Amino acid sequence: MTHVVTDNCRGCRYTDCVASCPVACFHVNEVRVYIDPAVCIDCSACIPACPVHAIVEEFDLADDQQHWIRINAEAAQRYPVIRARLPPLDGADARRQQLGL
Amino acid sequence: MSTHSSETLVVRGACPQDCPDTCAFLYHVEDGKLVEVTGDPDHPMTRGGLCVKLKNFAEHHYNPDRLLYPMKRVGPKGSGMFERISWDEALATIKSKWTDIIAQYGTQAIMPHAYLGHQGTLNGLTAGDAFFNRLGSTVAEKTYCESGSSTAWIMTVGPTGGMDVESLAVSKYIIVWGMNMLNTNLHGWPFVLKAKAAGAKIVVIDPVRTRTAKQADWHIRIKPGTDAALALGMMNVIISEDLYDHDYVEKYTLGFDQLKARAAEFPPERVSDITGIPVVDILTLAREYAGTQRSAIRQGVAVERSPGGGDAVRAITCLPALTGAWRYPGGGTIEMPIWEFPFKFDFMCRPDWIPPGTRVINELDLGAALTGAMPLDPPIKSLFVYNSNPVSQAPGAGTIVEGLQREDLFTVCSELFITDTAKYADILLPATMQAEQLDIMVTWGHLYMHLNQPAIAPPGECVPNVELFRRLAKTMGFTDEHWDLDDWEMLRRCYDWDAPVMKGITLETLKEKGWMRLDVGLPDERTPHATGDFKTPSGKCEFASSLAAGGNFVVPVWRSGYEAMQPGTPVDPVPNYIPSVETMMPDGASAFPINLVSPKPHAFLNTQYANEPTQQRRQGEQIIVIHPIDAGPRSIEQGSYVRVFNDRGAFEARAEVSEDVSPGLMMTNVGHWPGLNRSGTAVNSTTSTRHCNLGQAGTYSDNRVDVQRV
Repeated sequence: MTHVVTDNCRGCRYTDCVASCPVACFHVNEVRVYIDPAVCIDCSACIPACPVHAIVEEFDLADDQQHWIRINAEAAQRYPVIRARLPPLDGADARRQQLGL
Repeated sequence: MSTHSSETLVVRGACPQDCPDTCAFLYHVEDGKLVEVTGDPDHPMTRGGLCVKLKNFAEHHYNPDRLLYPMKRVGPKGSGMFERISWDEALATIKSKWTDIIAQYGTQAIMPHAYLGHQGTLNGLTAGDAFFNRLGSTVAEKTYCESGSSTAWIMTVGPTGGMDVESLAVSKYIIVWGMNMLNTNLHGWPFVLKAKAAGAKIVVIDPVRTRTAKQADWHIRIKPGTDAALALGMMNVIISEDLYDHDYVEKYTLGFDQLKARAAEFPPERVSDITGIPVVDILTLAREYAGTQRSAIRQGVAVERSPGGGDAVRAITCLPALTGAWRYPGGGTIEMPIWEFPFKFDFMCRPDWIPPGTRVINELDLGAALTGAMPLDPPIKSLFVYNSNPVSQAPGAGTIVEGLQREDLFTVCSELFITDTAKYADILLPATMQAEQLDIMVTWGHLYMHLNQPAIAPPGECVPNVELFRRLAKTMGFTDEHWDLDDWEMLRRCYDWDAPVMKGITLETLKEKGWMRLDVGLPDERTPHATGDFKTPSGKCEFASSLAAGGNFVVPVWRSGYEAMQPGTPVDPVPNYIPSVETMMPDGASAFPINLVSPKPHAFLNTQYANEPTQQRRQGEQIIVIHPIDAGPRSIEQGSYVRVFNDRGAFEARAEVSEDVSPGLMMTNVGHWPGLNRSGTAVNSTTSTRHCNLGQAGTYSDNRVDVQRV
């Protein structure tokens, strides 16, 4: 099992999750982060850290969110590990508001 | 206590589990109900996150299967049929049974059985020691885990805390030896990552390609139980290539010539034959370790779980003194820093109450002690189990179950749930969970002291262990002052608050802050043994141990503070490689061709939380990991159900075929409740009750089995 970063991260990329992760399992690209399922140890420390509730434990994924498991696994192979928090993307706060969070 | 929002009360606490991380908790309480437990974001180890095991911790308190009232058995032993009774009736029954047993057989016919189901000062390992010492029961040696390492550590460096896990952040070469940190020391891992980011090399020595091994720069696969040979082989290279710190060795160690002679017996070629590690890797490891200062070894408990495990811990513990690694912050070795805490064991355990000549029975020998396989006079007529679950966790589970079925055995269990052991009880007593009780939590993995304050009221008639033993003492007519002390007064007397390491720490400051660091120096500056100062009789790191003269011993904390009746079997003053009995049998010499190791589970804490459905989903069912070379001829495929067996017992599991293990090696996890498994059994039905060469520890990793598809 693992945790996955879902769509809410796109365009925000707050990366508070990265600071809370004890195992450095997050990978990053220009718009969002992903979790490497081979490294995640299921501790859930990142879930409350995310301001936009983007991170979900695999079990809690809705049926129409299941594809995020594969997307995270594949993207984690393509993008580099992120070990320290980055500034949020421009427009992150606006998107957060748009998400109602 | 502080008010978090208008409705939520936040109370500070700490994790009760047998884990080196001992997280600082924030209990969130609404209308008297525990709604969430989170990690304290300000605690340097906890860093705001708990772990997968504790995910349902708040809900766990409300698990509908919880034992809430005293019960008595109303069906056959083991049937799980119980009926609610009052505390008065439970205590009166215990008194009546024990009075009869004592009259006929004496007090030693009663044996307690406890371990670290709870890690607190009042309610943990030693919670019942004073009571049972006062009663004059058999002294139970609690050596499930760590006892072999404790003896080895004390023989080599004395009761020192050693290196701080936080100091790993400034190490340049880190060897994680026999520990899957990502499963069992998660909150230590960020310090390893910090070191790695600053250029440190991370080496993992483990028979299995674990999650941790996969994250390392270098995974060295070692045959289980051969760690001493590797450590001695490293010394062979370090000494013969003159890579050791002459000045440190001369000033701060004892017995170098003897160690040199012993290491000379372990040239890399021989070590390679024993350990299965290529010669070139042994040479590289030794040279890199000795050649990189700020080198650290994080020792795991797995090292002790073989017949020669005690000497393996001694040999590994000698390494940083040989290379002078102790001179530097981030240098040295971590075993168990609990020795830094100024615990007053004499108050907590009251060994002065043990009648002279009282016998000792090791808890891992429980099956033999109950069935008569071990001749005992008097026999064990009553067993009192708390903080432990031997049917799942002790080796030789089949014999233990046989013993627990004895009609003439009066068994009492204090428990949270009706476990596989509690099922055999005559009387069940309900225990509190952590949010419902007061305690001080110290730890065997870091240097902070925590106050766990009760956040909610205990449900039903649950009581903390400390109160349980007060009630039992009064029931048995003990009138000592000890039984009139309340929890706060007990805590006051359990520690030496004037010890130098307790600077600034009082019960009052703990109440306010929740946790405080011992005054032992800062992690990135601390060098506890830069100039010796070992806590051995000589004050030096003893390559040749002066304590060996007294023979094998169990450190008194693991045996109710009792100094007498130690095993006393001869111990070589200099660590040696002692081959495992089963693992090292030549091919064909055993009917059981595969060695089985059984480390801790990922989503359970030993057996705790293994009855939570959500945790069962996270952990998955009982599995074995088997190499394709062993699986193929047995027609075992990914997902096949298999029966793992030997002449001691069997259990069933689902197979995962993987090269994470080597040919001839399988891995499973301890912790699944036998009664919830397909076969009604678990791995300890197959393990042997043989002891490690030091400290009477278990040898769970020295276990030959065979496997077949079912």
